Amino acid sequence: MTDFLANLSLGFSVAFVPTNLVLAFLGCLVGTLVGVLPGVGPLATIAMLLPITFGVDPVGALIMLAGIYYGAQYGGSTTAILVNMPGEASSVVTALDGHQMAKQGRAGVALAIAAIGSFFAGTVATLLIALLAAPLTRVALVFGPTEYFSLMVVGLVFAVVLASGSVLKAIAMILLGVLLSLVGTDLETGEERMTFGLSMLSDGIDFTILAMGIFGIAEIMRNLTQTDNRDVIRQHIGRLLPDKEDFRSSCRPVLRGTALGAILGILPGSGAVLAPFASYALEKKLAEQPGRFGRGAIEGVAGPESANNAAAQTSFIPLLTLGIPPNAVMALMIGAMTIHGIVPGPQVMTKNPAMFWGMIASMWVGNLMLLVINLPLVGIWVRLLKVPYRLMFPAILMFCCIGIYSINSLPTDVMLIALFGFVGFALIRMGFEPAPMLLGFVLGRLLEENLRRALSISRGSPATFLEHPISASLLMVAAVLIVLAMLPSIRRGRDTAFTE
Amino acid sequence: MKTDRPTSNSKARLLPIIQDQNFAAGLLLVAIAISAYALTRDLARPSNGVGPATLPEWLSLALGVSGAALLTAAIYKPGVRFERAMLRGPALIILAVLMFASTIRGVSFAGVSIPGLGLLFAGPVAIMISGYASPDVRFDQLLGLALGLTAFCMLLFGDLLNLPIPILPQPLVDLLPASWSAKADLRLSAAALGAAAVLILVAWPNSTRRSST
Repeated sequence: MTDFLANLSLGFSVAFVPTNLVLAFLGCLVGTLVGVLPGVGPLATIAMLLPITFGVDPVGALIMLAGIYYGAQYGGSTTAILVNMPGEASSVVTALDGHQMAKQGRAGVALAIAAIGSFFAGTVATLLIALLAAPLTRVALVFGPTEYFSLMVVGLVFAVVLASGSVLKAIAMILLGVLLSLVGTDLETGEERMTFGLSMLSDGIDFTILAMGIFGIAEIMRNLTQTDNRDVIRQHIGRLLPDKEDFRSSCRPVLRGTALGAILGILPGSGAVLAPFASYALEKKLAEQPGRFGRGAIEGVAGPESANNAAAQTSFIPLLTLGIPPNAVMALMIGAMTIHGIVPGPQVMTKNPAMFWGMIASMWVGNLMLLVINLPLVGIWVRLLKVPYRLMFPAILMFCCIGIYSINSLPTDVMLIALFGFVGFALIRMGFEPAPMLLGFVLGRLLEENLRRALSISRGSPATFLEHPISASLLMVAAVLIVLAMLPSIRRGRDTAFTE
Repeated sequence: MKTDRPTSNSKARLLPIIQDQNFAAGLLLVAIAISAYALTRDLARPSNGVGPATLPEWLSLALGVSGAALLTAAIYKPGVRFERAMLRGPALIILAVLMFASTIRGVSFAGVSIPGLGLLFAGPVAIMISGYASPDVRFDQLLGLALGLTAFCMLLFGDLLNLPIPILPQPLVDLLPASWSAKADLRLSAAALGAAAVLILVAWPNSTRRSST
């Protein structure tokens, strides 16, 4: 307990240094902005701002980058609710019910509940990290490659279960995403895989390019061919403050989402992406009328939003303790740490306690700032969104082009987003949802690494995944989930067949 | 704009299967599976059986199975039919991105060389081309946006954030007095663009009348 207090006070003493406060605020503000502006994600932003942080000390730099990350979570929820365009993979779920609420004129309530839930979850997660960081590091260390692999399989299966449309197509998209992540030089043998002999591909497919192509450019194309479906809300935001009824129906989802998110965030390899999906599934399961979900159920916003924020925070644990990035943004954070001379791993907590705890404390501070930035200023964000789409998409396109170009100064990168944009558009036309593909892509390399390590230890026997108890139970969960996902889709398929 | 919808059974039987969404999807997956399998054929296979080819092989097998399942589904059960998409929008978007890519720094490809025009020209060009992807484009607004947004981006990315992105074409830099700094050049041209944008939006004939209707 004394440890807990000492760590927290150390953290807050670092976080309240004026420069760090300013950097946290800047990070949150920029994060919200890029989260709100569709087509510019935290990934490109962090990549762009990385060179600027060289002049700042490592703690401040990481505080600002972290601020961009969770600021974008907030901003991403805002666009998910108002434009049905999730800024981040973690707010995909928010779009389902949040946008429906916005269409019913309850955008203000959805935004407020998302912010309040996120703030609550952020607070709890911060305390939880301070309390559990050390013991949890030891638990996480028990996970071997076998368990990691199975854990990631569960994460991917969750993405399948929650993807809209055909389960089979979602599975195919995940497989394709993992396959794409394997393009490039094999780290173990140095052999080039599936590169067609192109030197451009020997480093693999750039995640930023793929993501911008598929979520930036392809999305524009999709919106242009489905004019009736593009969704900048025309209704009023409505009142901002949720009423008693809203609070009553969302308070349990917030609590459950927080718990779920905190736990899933700690587990390496899943992070903030998985948590909101899981929370949504849980809320839908527990709801008295599951049919309301997808039609503007406030629980479908409150739970996942709390979950993604809790997970975003606790996912720093695997990053700081094991050096495992749960998502692409965290992978960039690892890059930032290395540039600043900090080797991610278990030694961070003991060698750089000021940085570790300072970052965690600054997250709470940042969450408080975000509450202030987001709710009173929501009018500004909304005004940004009321610009007609015919003027929006050229701007998105321009930001994408500049963002991609500025990362490597390569015109070919810009051309590639056009290519991936077209591929994404073609996939959408064939009924594939691109989101699961991106998740598969993010986890792909790590998945393979662990698979190969596990198989090397077991001398090539795949049975190892069933012989390890933790891994076996994780795979069991995955199998059950797949079966459950298949069943209702069969039923739904029958229903539509009958009505036709 | 027509949307995809399930076809009624009797009609679907008569449709060429090529128009079935699942059929195309299945074909694509099978093609990807086969090429991935072929591309990883010559990778090292260590004696314990775990190597760089292991996961790609599993994946291509699984993709092939998924593709076959979709094909089967398309043959036995009519699915969603492809409607011909309007290709003008996507084509213009791609053209806009390609134009940006090839004019920002200049490229030479197959004997044709495009000079580097910098953000000052690449930006408006990309915006003007892409703007026509929307059916309800309005020239005056789009032109205003193209100039104004480019000015904004020049100041934000070039001046404030110092991103390594070419702003002005070299001939223009040569025209401006050599004693001026690069930043001064940038700010001056951004101001000129911004002023032009304001002028267009305010003074374009009919623009106010049309936007009010």
